[in-house]
Amino acid sequence: MRRRGVLLSVVVTLIYLFLLVPIVIVVLAALNAGNYLAFPPQGISLRWFIKAAETGPFLRSFVFSLKLAGWVTALSTVLGTMAALYIVRHSRRFRTVLRLAIVAPLQFPAILTGIALLIFFFATGLGTRGMRALFIGHTLLALPYVFLTVSAVLVGFDRSLEEAAQSLGAGPLTTFRRVTFPLIKGGVISGALFAFITSFDQFPISLLLVSVGNTTLPIQLFDYLRFSFDPAAAAVSTVSVLMSVAIVLLVDRLVGLQAVSWSGQG
Amino acid sequence: MAGIDAAFPARPAAARGRFSWLWTLIVPSMLLLVVFFLVPYLNMVRMSFLLKPADGPYLPQFTLNNYAKAVLDPFHWRVLFRTFWMAGLTTVLTLIFGYPLAYHLTAASGRRKRWLLMLIIAPLLMSVVVRGFAWLILLGRVGLVNQVAHWLTGRELVLIGTPTAVMIGLVHVFIPFMALSIAGALSNISPDVIQAARSLSASPWRTFWRIVWPLSLPGVQAGGLLVFILAVSSYVIPILLGNSNVLVMPMLIVQTLLDAFNWPLGSALSMVFFGLTAATVAVFLRMMGRAMGWTRA
Repeated sequence: MRRRGVLLSVVVTLIYLFLLVPIVIVVLAALNAGNYLAFPPQGISLRWFIKAAETGPFLRSFVFSLKLAGWVTALSTVLGTMAALYIVRHSRRFRTVLRLAIVAPLQFPAILTGIALLIFFFATGLGTRGMRALFIGHTLLALPYVFLTVSAVLVGFDRSLEEAAQSLGAGPLTTFRRVTFPLIKGGVISGALFAFITSFDQFPISLLLVSVGNTTLPIQLFDYLRFSFDPAAAAVSTVSVLMSVAIVLLVDRLVGLQAVSWSGQG
Repeated sequence: MAGIDAAFPARPAAARGRFSWLWTLIVPSMLLLVVFFLVPYLNMVRMSFLLKPADGPYLPQFTLNNYAKAVLDPFHWRVLFRTFWMAGLTTVLTLIFGYPLAYHLTAASGRRKRWLLMLIIAPLLMSVVVRGFAWLILLGRVGLVNQVAHWLTGRELVLIGTPTAVMIGLVHVFIPFMALSIAGALSNISPDVIQAARSLSASPWRTFWRIVWPLSLPGVQAGGLLVFILAVSSYVIPILLGNSNVLVMPMLIVQTLLDAFNWPLGSALSMVFFGLTAATVAVFLRMMGRAMGWTRA
């Protein structure tokens, strides 16, 4: 009995190491003072972060990605929350169909969705210049995360509070603003954070929909890695690492990771 | 009590009348999905039947030529085969590594559980490019793995550019998906059931295989589905770690579309790829359904 517990702990520790060591290595590589991506690092410095920030394409694509993710977050948070409110609360006959429709973009290979959108945007003459095509493509994939997160919070929601507000004469909008929203706020913000990181890290859709001068950070990093291999790339990667760590900590604070991570599959 | 009931009559009748505009909440999402998801996919189906002239993108003329080209080229089948076995192996390996992780996580509690959950979810939110890059550093010529190998055997391993490197990357990327799906199912198992089995003097081993494993199958199914679909369509990891030597279907399709600029053939290849993925998923669901049926009986 004891022996089995020890064995499980050892196995699990090894798996965690497999998951986390590569990420730690990237961060260490970014802090490396040497000229190459060699291990062990030769001293600690921030020179590669400065080099990355001074590299025009990295800075431009970083700003572009932030802007894009901001717009995607705004739209998908509003639409996803509305959809969750309707589907969890008010839909009857079509509940399953609507749910499946909202999460469908997650079930289809994203690279095929990107291809379909690319052909569609050219066939309709809209084109993929600027941010428009990327904005729509990213929103398709961010929306389900908001929907799932807000749904998870709504399922444990006590409806009698709203009924109390309404019986005291509050209209539907006042009820939402004063009662419903404050109660689901954590879920909405968590959904927004997931939407943001989904857009910020998005690769397959972006690969097909980026245009000249409008490149996102992951695509820029990918292009860079195909021709050069230096610690500047590690510095850029560290930004993504820090962002995801921050979001995990925030969501855990807001609603608890357990609430959102396990309901997502259901 | 009767007075209160009278003062607050049953909600639905009144609420339904007042809330009848509520269906408009779902309209914007559905509009977005129809216009920018359903229609583009249907358009891709149409594109796969159109003629590709030598000097332009496509002509609105029906043809089966693209499918003939997509299906009759044995090269495409080799790529398809490689893509599917790699995704299948990824699914099996993530199950083997993800299950202990999920089991351990579900058994933990309090702060410890929160931290463990963070350790699993944080990598999930990192860009795939970053995770591919991490393995590029680790498996490279002067990377940590090669240094250890050199120290042990005195030889240098060539890892980048091989299917092995791609498999390592894929398994690394997809373990969290599998672990979380299984943990979801495991956390639904009532401790009473396990208590009951143990009190009937079933060994831990027997309790696991006869009670816990069958009850966790829905999680295994959900995780398997998720990982397979994501792995079969992954693009970044095979390119970065396979160094373009390990050609998989998404790479071939993107090349056909962007480099060869052949939309009709690219669409036909996408449809074939999509159809085979759906068929594999259907077979997998049937198998899982049968496995879950057996244990229920």
